[in-house]
Amino acid sequence: MKKIIIGILAVVLLCLMSLGFSDAMHSNAEGSHGEGLPKVDPKEIIFEHLGDAYGWELPFAHHRRIPLPIIVYGTDGLHVFSSSRVAHGEQYSDGAATFVIPAEGENKGKVVELVNGAEVKPYDISITKNVLAVFITLILVIWCALSLVKWYKNNGNKAPKGFIGAFEAIMMFIYDGVIKSTLKENARRFAPYLLTVFFFIFMMNLLGLTVIFPGGANLTGNIAVTMTLAIMTFLVTNIFGTKHYWKDIFWPDVPMWLKCPLPIMPMIELFGIFTKPAALTIRLFANMMGGHMIVIVLTLLIFIFAGVGGYAVGGATAVVSVAFSIFMLLIDVLVSFIQAYVFTMLSTIFISLAQENPHAEHGEHEQKND
Amino acid sequence: MELFTPGFGLVFWMFVSFAVLFFVLWKFAWPVILDIVDKRADLIDKGVEYAQNAKEQLDKAQADADKMLAEARRKEADILREAEALKVQIIEEARNEAKVQAKKEIDAAKLTIEQAKKEAELSIREEVGAIALRIAEKVVRQNMSDDKAQTRLVNTLIDEIENQN
Repeated sequence: MKKIIIGILAVVLLCLMSLGFSDAMHSNAEGSHGEGLPKVDPKEIIFEHLGDAYGWELPFAHHRRIPLPIIVYGTDGLHVFSSSRVAHGEQYSDGAATFVIPAEGENKGKVVELVNGAEVKPYDISITKNVLAVFITLILVIWCALSLVKWYKNNGNKAPKGFIGAFEAIMMFIYDGVIKSTLKENARRFAPYLLTVFFFIFMMNLLGLTVIFPGGANLTGNIAVTMTLAIMTFLVTNIFGTKHYWKDIFWPDVPMWLKCPLPIMPMIELFGIFTKPAALTIRLFANMMGGHMIVIVLTLLIFIFAGVGGYAVGGATAVVSVAFSIFMLLIDVLVSFIQAYVFTMLSTIFISLAQENPHAEHGEHEQKND
Repeated sequence: MELFTPGFGLVFWMFVSFAVLFFVLWKFAWPVILDIVDKRADLIDKGVEYAQNAKEQLDKAQADADKMLAEARRKEADILREAEALKVQIIEEARNEAKVQAKKEIDAAKLTIEQAKKEAELSIREEVGAIALRIAEKVVRQNMSDDKAQTRLVNTLIDEIENQN
């Protein structure tokens, strides 16, 4: 019974989501076309949904947005104001500085300061949609972890059930299956970082799939987010790297002519240090963005076909598209877990490679000393 | 392409958020959870070990009990057998005792009877003597007329009596 209700709710939500899209089409088409079906600009819509914004779109109402604070450091210091003041291309003057979001040009969609008519990019640390989504993720992850801790305090050595039980199960799956089996005796040392990374990414992925308010931001499909996470792994890997790890990079065990006089192997190894975080950045970003993009494109197909063949064709496409969208979203739930898992696994492997010790027998002593 | 250029603001807030998240979880969550899970795993291992030991002990106790029961049975049988032997012995003894006793009684009775017989014989002899004397007196009184014959008769009688003894 419960399952049926949830199923019906999901279908209704998806239908409403499509309505929201049609609303979006209308607003895009406003003014330019008076008659027939509105023209659709797929590129515009796709990038709008994948990208960041200064406000959070309310469900089913495209023009209404929750305004978020804009924080910029311009030519004359720090300015904080609501994004509603610069919505719809309006100019806002805070003291001597004037801010605007240009609709065209190089800085399209970004807050810029107008200095003598020229656009100057300020340091922009606004609480945008994505930043707020990061905060929400942060709170959710902390809440999950701390509720598990609280449960332990109340129940001692019993195993938790339900939601926090699942949380613990996933956590131990990652800890035992990935961290402990790869890092061995160093597992406890790096586990806090790796577990944090895993749950942060996993929660962001899942929130990205949720269509209404607390979710909906394409976080892990944003290169800034994945890059930051990859840089973290890069820092952890190299800061905690052993002497042997650095020796292997600058003076590897290869024939002399490969490292002297021309340092061919050291160059390759050094390059490898930077390709690792790059790979982490790109793979998570591309995977998650791809998933989002497919769902949006499938939905857009309805309107594109409707524009070509009228309502009947559009209606027929809608059935197929919605079915495919649901299928894709379900796969994306799986992908959310897999990508978080893969990111954690690769990070663990990179860290463990930097923890290598040539003398496995004496390795433990050295580990304890440092 | 806006999509491929990381925004400065987001990177900044990501660093801040990640630092906060990492700090909070590192301080309050992960070590606590891992410790408790380890402790629980230990507890379960110990529990299994304990249960195995308990089972072994129980099995051993069962075997012991079985052994003791068998022992008891054996002892019981022994005791019964002994009792049987004792019973037979006692009966035998009693029988012997009774035999001896009976023999004693019989002997005593025989003695008494013998004595009584002798006494009776004696009294009968006296009685017979007296009767004989009376008969003799009567006979003598009848035959006192003839002295010679009397004397002869008396002599004959006396001889007879003497021969008898």
